[in-house]
Amino acid sequence: MILQALRRLRLGGVLGINSRNADYIMRWNPRSRFPLVDNKVLTKKMAEEHGIPTPALYLLIEKHGDLPALPRLLEGKAEFAVKPARGSGGSGIVLVREQSERGYVTQSGELIPFGDFAHHVSDILSGIFSLSGLEDIAIVEALIHPDTVFGDVSYQGVPDVRIVVYRGVPAMSMVRLPTKASDGKANLHRGAIGAGIEIAKGTTVTAVHRSKIVARHPDTGNPVSGIQVPYWDEMLRIAAGTFEMTGLGYIGVDIALDRDRGPLLLELNARPGLAIQLANGHGLRERLEQIDRLPAGILANPEERVVWAKRTFH
Amino acid sequence: MRPSLLPGGHPMKKSPALAVALFLFVLSAALVGYRIFFLGYPVFPTVTETSWRLSAQAEVEPGQADEIQILLALPVENAGRVISEERIFSSSLTAGLSREGPNRFCQWRGDSESKNVDISYEATILLRPGKTPEKGIPPVPEDSGWIDREDLQLAERLARPWRALKPADRIGAAAAAARGEWKPEPGVEDLAAWIALQRKRGSTRPLLLLLRASQVPARSVEGLRFADEVRSRPMRWIEAWNGKDWEILWPNTGEIEPDPASLLPLAFGSVRALAVSPGRVVDARWSVSQQVVGAWSLLLGRLRNSGSFLDRWSLFSLPAEFQPTFRILLLVPMGTLIISVLRNIIGFPTFGIFMPVLMALAFRNTGLFYGLGIFAGVVFIGYAVRNWVDRLRLLLVPRMAVMLTLVIACFTVLALVGQQFDLRQFMAVGLLPFVILTMVIERFYILVEESGVRQGLETAVGSAAVSVIAYAIISWEALQMTFFLYPELLAAVAAFQVLLGRYTGYRLSELFRFRSLGGAA
Repeated sequence: MILQALRRLRLGGVLGINSRNADYIMRWNPRSRFPLVDNKVLTKKMAEEHGIPTPALYLLIEKHGDLPALPRLLEGKAEFAVKPARGSGGSGIVLVREQSERGYVTQSGELIPFGDFAHHVSDILSGIFSLSGLEDIAIVEALIHPDTVFGDVSYQGVPDVRIVVYRGVPAMSMVRLPTKASDGKANLHRGAIGAGIEIAKGTTVTAVHRSKIVARHPDTGNPVSGIQVPYWDEMLRIAAGTFEMTGLGYIGVDIALDRDRGPLLLELNARPGLAIQLANGHGLRERLEQIDRLPAGILANPEERVVWAKRTFH
Repeated sequence: MRPSLLPGGHPMKKSPALAVALFLFVLSAALVGYRIFFLGYPVFPTVTETSWRLSAQAEVEPGQADEIQILLALPVENAGRVISEERIFSSSLTAGLSREGPNRFCQWRGDSESKNVDISYEATILLRPGKTPEKGIPPVPEDSGWIDREDLQLAERLARPWRALKPADRIGAAAAAARGEWKPEPGVEDLAAWIALQRKRGSTRPLLLLLRASQVPARSVEGLRFADEVRSRPMRWIEAWNGKDWEILWPNTGEIEPDPASLLPLAFGSVRALAVSPGRVVDARWSVSQQVVGAWSLLLGRLRNSGSFLDRWSLFSLPAEFQPTFRILLLVPMGTLIISVLRNIIGFPTFGIFMPVLMALAFRNTGLFYGLGIFAGVVFIGYAVRNWVDRLRLLLVPRMAVMLTLVIACFTVLALVGQQFDLRQFMAVGLLPFVILTMVIERFYILVEESGVRQGLETAVGSAAVSVIAYAIISWEALQMTFFLYPELLAAVAAFQVLLGRYTGYRLSELFRFRSLGGAA
């Protein structure tokens, strides 16, 4: 029975975690490039150099000594997001929608007094949310106003589009929709929904919630399939360009859709998860092998890679 | 910081992991094989073998001289008989070992102070029934100082009819004569003279004489039999050379011993098993007893005297107090190998690799039951406190310090409770790896926060299960002994670790996780 199940997975072209690590991450992602994606400040700077839009950077807080000056530095900024540069899985992120006399009001309506806010930034600086536990930097950047396209199928928060890019070719994609259970965060393991997006057309297909296939959003009850993602071609171009930008061959690209600015690169992930396969109802391995068979001419050109991916993955 | 364009990616060279694993495996197998086939190490070190314990004790009254010398004949090793451990003891004399021809002695010397002296000797002897002793080389002629010319002439007359026989048959004829069965029957006078000689000289010397007269090299031997017994003096028999081998004759009965391997010779020729000069033996006792011991312990004594490099660099050469540490340490890589299997092939969630191993090490002191209980209890208390400490918004390092203090406080309370209720396991708690426990609390808290209680509990239970398995492995005595004798097995373990590192197939847990994605079977 186990052998049969193994055979089924292999026939389904499912990529397992061992193979992802050994055959793709270790082979295509040189260790020396990891800091570029693990540190959001570096990612942001790099993206700017390459003309890829990101949320506007307001402020970098690098040392505890800056904390007393925080209220003054943030004066006049009605809304902003604070995140740790090396954070993972959305931890440590605070979204502020307005300032009051006593403190900051978060997107979920909670009031954070100035003192508590300074303490949170202090936590970020001392590395509480960092991947390695080392000291960190806090980023203050523009708040994203999510495009209304996913309004019916998300509960608060900012949905983001994840595109897995292999050797510069967009291979698979999904949009992560926050739920009540995920506390407005767009992370699958916190309970967000992942809806697969067909690379060819940019429309959502099936969705996965806590490793179960679902058709509707658990909080809003609206169907999650058949939604056309706007700016789809631009998103694919951004994703394809990250290969030349980072030198990483197997990468997860997270893009948010701002209602005013369009697609913004949020972050890059050198160890993207495998749940995207569930969200698409499709294995990754077959696509990765197809990409490996591509002629060098197509692989060398980001535009051609996007064209080929759109023609091939549907 | 801007990276250069790398459109070709970074294709890695083909991994030489397989070759490395093969090399490690061959290296390990070669060393183990060398030890087993050339140095005679036991294949299964904890299999028990039957061995014999020989002990000789004597009390000696010194004579009227300044110096006393005691000679005790010792057993000699051969292919079928291994002496693994020898102990020599004397209250006041200095001892030394020496060899002379086929004999081996322990020689005690010292100033005699007119009071009685005790000496003792102990040895463990292992019989290897499968291996026949090497065939003896022709013997040197027996010393003939004791031989009376007339007696020799008598023996030559009696043995004359056997001259045409083969050596083995001549021995048979002499043995029969010792039983009184002459063939052919000698003259009446000679027979009467022979019986008179036996009466005068006992049974051994006339038989030796008769063998000598038949041109058969022979010697008298003092020794013991491998049977549980205590004797005040060794047995005496005669060995006669049949051209290829020594045959054993019992002079009193004239029988030929059917099972020479069951005898343990101590002194050959005119040498006595115990000799004192000057002085007299007040009391002597030789005892042989059977004992059952692990095969490895029989190796110990040999290792000590061996000249082989591998023998001298054995872990057994470590001082005894350090040996138990290495018995455990050598199994830790085995434990991590199992953890690698559980994680990468099965897909067990655990808090890191090392935590379950360190927990398993700690369980050795507390026992499995109490260890798991304490582990669960401390993590639970730690989680509750950590949840509350979060409100204090402490910085990372001081916060970890607070949690560490909590863990130590828990241990202290447990130890005191253990003292009150006489639970030693609770008092052994201090050896639980407190740093690891602190880290577990932190990781458990973060996991619960980020991925939910369910994931947190799954990982905690997974870690506990893995540590139980690791505990079972490192506590397995047979495995401990095997790795201790053959530390090169580490190379084989590493070979499997390398192979496992190149396993890119599915994890068992993924069969469940991706069950909705399977293609048609």
